[in-house]
Amino acid sequence: MLKIITATAKELLLLRRDRAGLLILFLMPAILVVVITLVQENVMELTGQKKTRVVFLDLDQGDLGQILRRQLAKGNLRIEAWDGKQKDMADIREAVQDGDYQVGIVMPQDSSLRFKQEAAQLLQQNNNGETGDKSAGPTLVQVFFDPLLMAGLRAGITAQLQMALATMAMQAKLEALDRVQQEALAALPAGQELLPLARLNLPELVKQPLLSLQENQDFLPSAGTVPHNPVQQNVPAWALFGMFFTAIPIAGALIQERNSGIWVRLRVLPVSPLVLFGGKALAYIVVCLCQFLLIALIGAYLFPYVGLPAFTISMHLPAVLLTVLCSGLAATGYGIFLGLACNSYEQASTVGATTVVTAAAIGGVMVPVYAMPPMMQRLSIISPLNWGLSAFHDLILRGDALPAILDDLGRLLLFFAVTTLLAWKLAGRRHSRF
Amino acid sequence: MMSAHSLPPGQGQTAALWAGSLLKQYKNTDQPALNNFSLEVRQGEFFGLLGPNGAGKTTVISIFSGLMPPDSGTVRVMDMNFREKHNEIKHILGLAPQEIGLYNKLTASENLAFFGRLFGIKGKKLTERIRQKLEFVSLAEHAARPVSTFSYGMKRRLNLAAGLLNDPQVLVLDEPCVGIDAQSRNLIHEQLKELNRRGTTILYTTHYMEEAQELCSRICIMDNGRLVEQGPPATLLRESGMPNLEDLFLHLTGKELRDP
Repeated sequence: MLKIITATAKELLLLRRDRAGLLILFLMPAILVVVITLVQENVMELTGQKKTRVVFLDLDQGDLGQILRRQLAKGNLRIEAWDGKQKDMADIREAVQDGDYQVGIVMPQDSSLRFKQEAAQLLQQNNNGETGDKSAGPTLVQVFFDPLLMAGLRAGITAQLQMALATMAMQAKLEALDRVQQEALAALPAGQELLPLARLNLPELVKQPLLSLQENQDFLPSAGTVPHNPVQQNVPAWALFGMFFTAIPIAGALIQERNSGIWVRLRVLPVSPLVLFGGKALAYIVVCLCQFLLIALIGAYLFPYVGLPAFTISMHLPAVLLTVLCSGLAATGYGIFLGLACNSYEQASTVGATTVVTAAAIGGVMVPVYAMPPMMQRLSIISPLNWGLSAFHDLILRGDALPAILDDLGRLLLFFAVTTLLAWKLAGRRHSRF
Repeated sequence: MMSAHSLPPGQGQTAALWAGSLLKQYKNTDQPALNNFSLEVRQGEFFGLLGPNGAGKTTVISIFSGLMPPDSGTVRVMDMNFREKHNEIKHILGLAPQEIGLYNKLTASENLAFFGRLFGIKGKKLTERIRQKLEFVSLAEHAARPVSTFSYGMKRRLNLAAGLLNDPQVLVLDEPCVGIDAQSRNLIHEQLKELNRRGTTILYTTHYMEEAQELCSRICIMDNGRLVEQGPPATLLRESGMPNLEDLFLHLTGKELRDP
């Protein structure tokens, strides 16, 4: 234990002396988080990037669901229909909550029948000159939104749904009206003319709702979480990016040791390379924690001054810190691996920067995963930054607790273990002589 | 002249370093780096390992330091082998690599403190050991200076001090005086002689023949992974009739360049 503390203290001392390196480590993600968030503030809210994934559960199995799906398919939505006999409301809630779909729509049971009856009844009441709502009320179409969905996109989808429902309702009313008119005309004696619409209050008829949208409140952001916005997306995302960028100075430090006589000296000391790696990992985890803290503080206190919403952290602070820790471990493990796998600092910095930026891009740091093409979405699961980001989103945006992110944390820890073990294997082979 | 085979460990005095029939071949090479190489360095000896570039010197000291195993053959350090007593050997072995093995951004004493703690030395004992080693290499007054501000000669001396932190019984030195001024070289020579007088066994590689002649009680000349000749310098010169070690070296290893 003393040796690992010694190795950690040495790394921290070296870091403290490398002011330029430290400045880059902290300044780079800090600048990125401000710039990118400002850039995305409008863009992400206004654009519904790519097709939004919608799951449609038709518990009614009647005409209404089919008509609504046809209406929605005209828009920028990719609709997947679920069989109402095999799935229920709980399934759709879970699928949307987990981020598998951005929107879930449920057509309740017997909606078509009720809708037709309501339309006829409404017309009858109107024709009889009755005012006030004596019907059972509009048929409620349930909708679920992924908490991660951008506010602008969410508003656009809501408007699209309301438009579709209003169109369907109007169509139904006009069909009912047509039926009444035809029946009235047929009942008239020959040669007699009647204005069938004479007693109808058309403005009132149009105003009466037949179909209405009800947003399911089951997993609206709970206390301690806030709705998705670029700040909530970017702060953890760029903090993670900064953390993974520490892989480059770690690799650089290791290559410097290897290229000098230090590595040879360390190899002949009675200490395992794993202890030395552990020392490096611990020192850089401290750096990662500081990075996250800095970015979070910028989000919380600087953003409001530049016209952005303040970053809000969830109530699950220990779980957030655990995510930082696991992400830091994954980043340091990768840095140690790079330091042993690459032959020069130039190679490590090029490979490191390229792989970290690529992993950030496919992991959802730059553009949310749901806004990516399907192939990239599938690819995103191989990025350690995606695992960290997914855990942060679950905690900060979905309001989940530790159990919900254990799989992501497990992946990050496994990544650390695999990269460190590979580095250990390489350490046995590389520079094993003077 | 004696052959290494004539003194296996366990017969008479324990050898400080003993290698028997070592074979080592690196990947993608035609010739083995060591080919049936045997060597004995007795306790208390100041032993010089000489050879042209590519002769296999680095491979020998890497194997003796436990940095890599031979493909076949036996290695013993103070009658212990690396497979069974890896950690114990590391505690009695000191090393000064040819490349400076120090952190430039740390001070001289911070460097020694780091390496000392990895040896398990701590507290007052460590402070005392650092002071002692810095004095030994005449760097005590520069203890608080970062290594980056040191001259090359000072770095070499500190490099040696780092190799002495555990008061090793066996010290492996890979060209410790290469590229330094006469004053630093003289100081290192004097201190190494002193260490040897106190009983430390030293395995020393160098390209400077006069250095080997001055310091070593016995030398071994190797070439193409094989031991070519070994014995006390004076004996070798007398028996070969050569005026100096340089001529003997060239006579035994040839004059053709050894570019890799």
